[in-house]
Amino acid sequence: MKGNTSLSKGSTLLRELGITALSIVLAFGISAFIVWAAGFSVSAVFINLWKGAFGGKLALGSTLTKSTPIILTSLSFLLAFRCGLFNIGAEGQLYIGAIVAAVVGAYIHLPAALHVVVCLLAGGLGGALWGWIPGYLKAKRGVNEFVSTMMLSYVAIGLTDYLVAPRGPLHDTKYWANQTIRIAPTAALPRIMKPTQVSMALIVAVFFALVVWYYLFRTPAGYELRGVGLSPPAAEYGGIRIERKLILALTLAGFLAGLAGTGEVLGTHFRFIGRFSPGYGWDGIAGGLIARAHPIGAIFAALLMGALRAGGMQVQRSGAAPGDIAAVIQGLVIFFIIAPTLIRVLIHWRKK
Amino acid sequence: MPEFAVDMRGIVKRFPGVVANDSVDFAVERGEIHGLLGENGAGKTVLMSTLYGLYRPDAGEILINGHPQSNYGPATAIRLGIGMVHQHFMLVPRLSVAENIMLGQEPIKSGIFLDREAAIRQIQKFSNQYGLPIDPKARVDQLPVGAQQRVEIIKALYRGADTLILDEPTAVLTEQEVEHLGSALRKLKQEGKATILITHKLREAIEICDRITVLRKGRVIGTVHASETNERELAEMMVGRDVVFTVRRTEAKETPEPVLRAKEIEAEDDRGLLALKGVSFDVRKNEILGIAGVQGNGQAELAEVLTGLRPIRKGSVSLGGQDLTGKTVRDFIDAGIAHIPADRHLRGLVMNFSLRENAILGRQRIHQFAPSRFWQNQLEITNYTKRIVEEFGVKTPSVYVLAQNLSGGNQQRLIVGREFSKEPRMIIAAQPTRGLDVGGIEYVHEQLLKMRDHGAAVLLISMDLDEVMMLSDRIAVIYNGSIVAIRDPEDTDRRELGELMLSGARAQTGAEEEG
Amino acid sequence: MTTLGDIFTIQLLLATLRLASPIALIALGETFSERAGIINVGVEGTAVLGALVSALVGYFTGSPWIALIAAMVAGGLAGALHAVWCIRFRANHVVSGIGINILVAGLALFITSAVWGWRGTSASAPTLSTWYITGAAFLLVFASQIFLFRTKWGLRLRVVGEKPEAADTAGVNVHRTRYVYTILNGVLCGLAGAFFFNSVGRFTSGMVGGRGFIGIAAMVVGNYSPIGGLGAALLFGFIDALQMRLQGFIPSQFSIMLPYLLTVIALAFFIRKANVPAALGKHYIKQ
Repeated sequence: MKGNTSLSKGSTLLRELGITALSIVLAFGISAFIVWAAGFSVSAVFINLWKGAFGGKLALGSTLTKSTPIILTSLSFLLAFRCGLFNIGAEGQLYIGAIVAAVVGAYIHLPAALHVVVCLLAGGLGGALWGWIPGYLKAKRGVNEFVSTMMLSYVAIGLTDYLVAPRGPLHDTKYWANQTIRIAPTAALPRIMKPTQVSMALIVAVFFALVVWYYLFRTPAGYELRGVGLSPPAAEYGGIRIERKLILALTLAGFLAGLAGTGEVLGTHFRFIGRFSPGYGWDGIAGGLIARAHPIGAIFAALLMGALRAGGMQVQRSGAAPGDIAAVIQGLVIFFIIAPTLIRVLIHWRKK
Repeated sequence: MPEFAVDMRGIVKRFPGVVANDSVDFAVERGEIHGLLGENGAGKTVLMSTLYGLYRPDAGEILINGHPQSNYGPATAIRLGIGMVHQHFMLVPRLSVAENIMLGQEPIKSGIFLDREAAIRQIQKFSNQYGLPIDPKARVDQLPVGAQQRVEIIKALYRGADTLILDEPTAVLTEQEVEHLGSALRKLKQEGKATILITHKLREAIEICDRITVLRKGRVIGTVHASETNERELAEMMVGRDVVFTVRRTEAKETPEPVLRAKEIEAEDDRGLLALKGVSFDVRKNEILGIAGVQGNGQAELAEVLTGLRPIRKGSVSLGGQDLTGKTVRDFIDAGIAHIPADRHLRGLVMNFSLRENAILGRQRIHQFAPSRFWQNQLEITNYTKRIVEEFGVKTPSVYVLAQNLSGGNQQRLIVGREFSKEPRMIIAAQPTRGLDVGGIEYVHEQLLKMRDHGAAVLLISMDLDEVMMLSDRIAVIYNGSIVAIRDPEDTDRRELGELMLSGARAQTGAEEEG
Repeated sequence: MTTLGDIFTIQLLLATLRLASPIALIALGETFSERAGIINVGVEGTAVLGALVSALVGYFTGSPWIALIAAMVAGGLAGALHAVWCIRFRANHVVSGIGINILVAGLALFITSAVWGWRGTSASAPTLSTWYITGAAFLLVFASQIFLFRTKWGLRLRVVGEKPEAADTAGVNVHRTRYVYTILNGVLCGLAGAFFFNSVGRFTSGMVGGRGFIGIAAMVVGNYSPIGGLGAALLFGFIDALQMRLQGFIPSQFSIMLPYLLTVIALAFFIRKANVPAALGKHYIKQ
């Protein structure tokens, strides 16, 4: 019998949730051990983790702010994953989207609502371009997209570094920091949870999670994309144009990552700041995996990771331990989630 | 008391949900060719895999040359002199014959280097001794199937096999090649080797074997001498009821209206070599045209070319006057061509899609299922799938079950149901009964004839000559990428077709070919 | 005025050889594990781990040689983890590799903070000359080429990756083979990580900088043979060495981009699917 012994979608969902929950618990358990072994106080760490993530309005705001771009980069990874592709380049696509949005936001003048929409589109398209390139290379030249998206990520970071460096064309000469000029107020996404930094970008992100869900599971195009991911020969047999789907998947993935960067520019920083992303693109990979490639799951996976980041910062501030324990927890969660038979083995083991 | 080369007693082997071997007793003498006969799923391969050490039996004992053996793997089995030639060859295509054969028992020179020359010498020796001609330096993927099988046999002998297990060896051979195999086996017999022949082919079992053991649903029904039995009796033992040997084929109505026209088609295979070298034929309405041929002569490529899955280098294909040359798979589907693919796991179904998602595969964009690009009619898809499931007898608890959880027979029913529900003008059926049991085979044959009677044109591609002869209104033989003959089944016989399949040579009577 | 003659010097050649070594080691390691059928994109994280352990162990023991061994052991452990995940627990190979990269990245930040108080950077620790590692790399590549194509273990390795069923029925232990070569992969990446450490004298979290993935690309361009991987690594090493010298002429951000751009271009134009092991990435399930 194959790995998936449940027959239908309903019981599978429960099983998947159970696996996810168990993985998280295990990850926290092992992290607690690491904290203890390194000589820090386990309780102090976990208390501060919670405090930093959910202990009060400011903490919650911090969590949500960090989760917002991760929702989108998780969607980016999982959409490509559903087509059998590994989009590792969300970090770079995010930066390209951000810089494009910053330019459109700062140098073009439009009425408020329209300006925001145009900026979002522009940023998304910037990211889409950065996704299209590896997509095209994969479809037409068989270039391994894992490596090409990763390489282009470094290229994007280098490119944007150059653009906002002191002698770069987009640098804001008023400041010494590597950044562009401020976007026009008409392009800004309003804050929705004052006094925290949570902006409309969160709504945009959640909205796109629903859109991606609908696309994948309720439209013929999404059906075809999933078919390609599950069985390219059968998809071809079914009249699906595989090359087109591959390019489409990576382009859309780039679009979503571009939106992530755009959201940061329009809602959090109001300008493009060099190296502004503390790794949201990479978090997207983790998020997509934790979400088991499900768009709605991505919202919760992103929330988990935003919480870990925010909590980690508090742990750092409190001096209880290095804040990067959060990153370790995240790595462990992934490790447990990705092994399909691990959980089953563990359950049998305990039954003995 | 003759010493048995192999003596299996009371073997039980269970898998989730099924008892593959149920208290099986099976013994083979030295110098004997012993047939193991049964339907698909009767437990023959499981039993022999257990003998070979790939499985461990849940109960029972195994004696090899009189000594009990337990808990062993293939390495030990090889040491004990048991060699297995699997149905699906265990050869590495990219390596040479010699490298494949010496794997695991490599001769060494200077302490660490492979001694290829020594291996080649040894292989030539076996090749000559047993009349199994091969070239040790050739790359396996360049060899025809019959030669690959010889490589597998020599591989077993190279490892010192005294007992040879052959799993469905004749499935991919023509009449003449089967005879060659038979004489090779008899030579082995003379040398005192024991041979076990796993097969579901009655005639060959009687022709080649000394004794035959019949399995049904995991149990031994009986062991008989080949000389003392006949096909009918064996068939009854195999399936437990009187089997209908021929399907009554109603005479096709004479409508010489060609539906599919293939003209001078040239196409390349996956390696870039020419697989189809100018193939021309018509398939008419209310007709089943059977393509007979040994695997590897271009049938796979032919099916792909006629469904848009492979590009046509030269020539043309048209359906009812509409030229489809160079068009996409989608165009072929929209034109009304249904395709039952040779490999249902690879092409026919997306295994991790549910039944309902598979039911619309190929037509996911039509108005009935997707009234717009932004909306799928989920209810209609579900109802449509339920109709197919009911009409074609797909056994499943619900339409939300994943395709991979269905048995092979039910998967094929789903595919057949999906394709035939389209009411196609043209059906390309490639190996439609592969891996099915007798009931499943009968069902598919019925459905094919029904579609033909209702006006479809059917192209039947099959390696099973009996099937082709039983169902076809006309039979075309493909050899080396060309159609070498087209015959009326009444005017030909297995011998002639076999000759054509093997050598492309025409029968001596000089009878006119049909255009 | 700087002329071309100033750029293309013996220094450039030596720099090429040096910079190519870690890439060649990673390419070699990945060649071994992929020839056995296991994809390991965790080579990047494993190299980071090797660098980190070199700094850590070197700092506490004062011996760069012990640190070197420790780095290889740590790499081997990471390889073992990946192997267990892929073989025993049947994780998707690529995903498991990603997991290693993420986990190591987090651990590196945590450990540097905990031990030295600096986030992502270590204190300096004793080093040895990287020429030792470069020499080792070249030796290993040539030895591996002979191993893979002229010995019986090399033959068995190749069969396991091409058609594990054939190896199994010939009595070769498929799972054990995969474990061994994946662990070997880890060891070689650990050694590459030690190279990065010894070039600088301390650990910094960006020091591997994607070269693990460039190593994978080198393996692909080199068509899955040790010598081919070395050739491709030399190409990348050349570009890496070149870009450092070009930094006076073009903006530094662009020259840093060069190796990455080149990788994409190389992959786009050097498609030779001929040697991809047929069973790569597929789980092998014995009954």
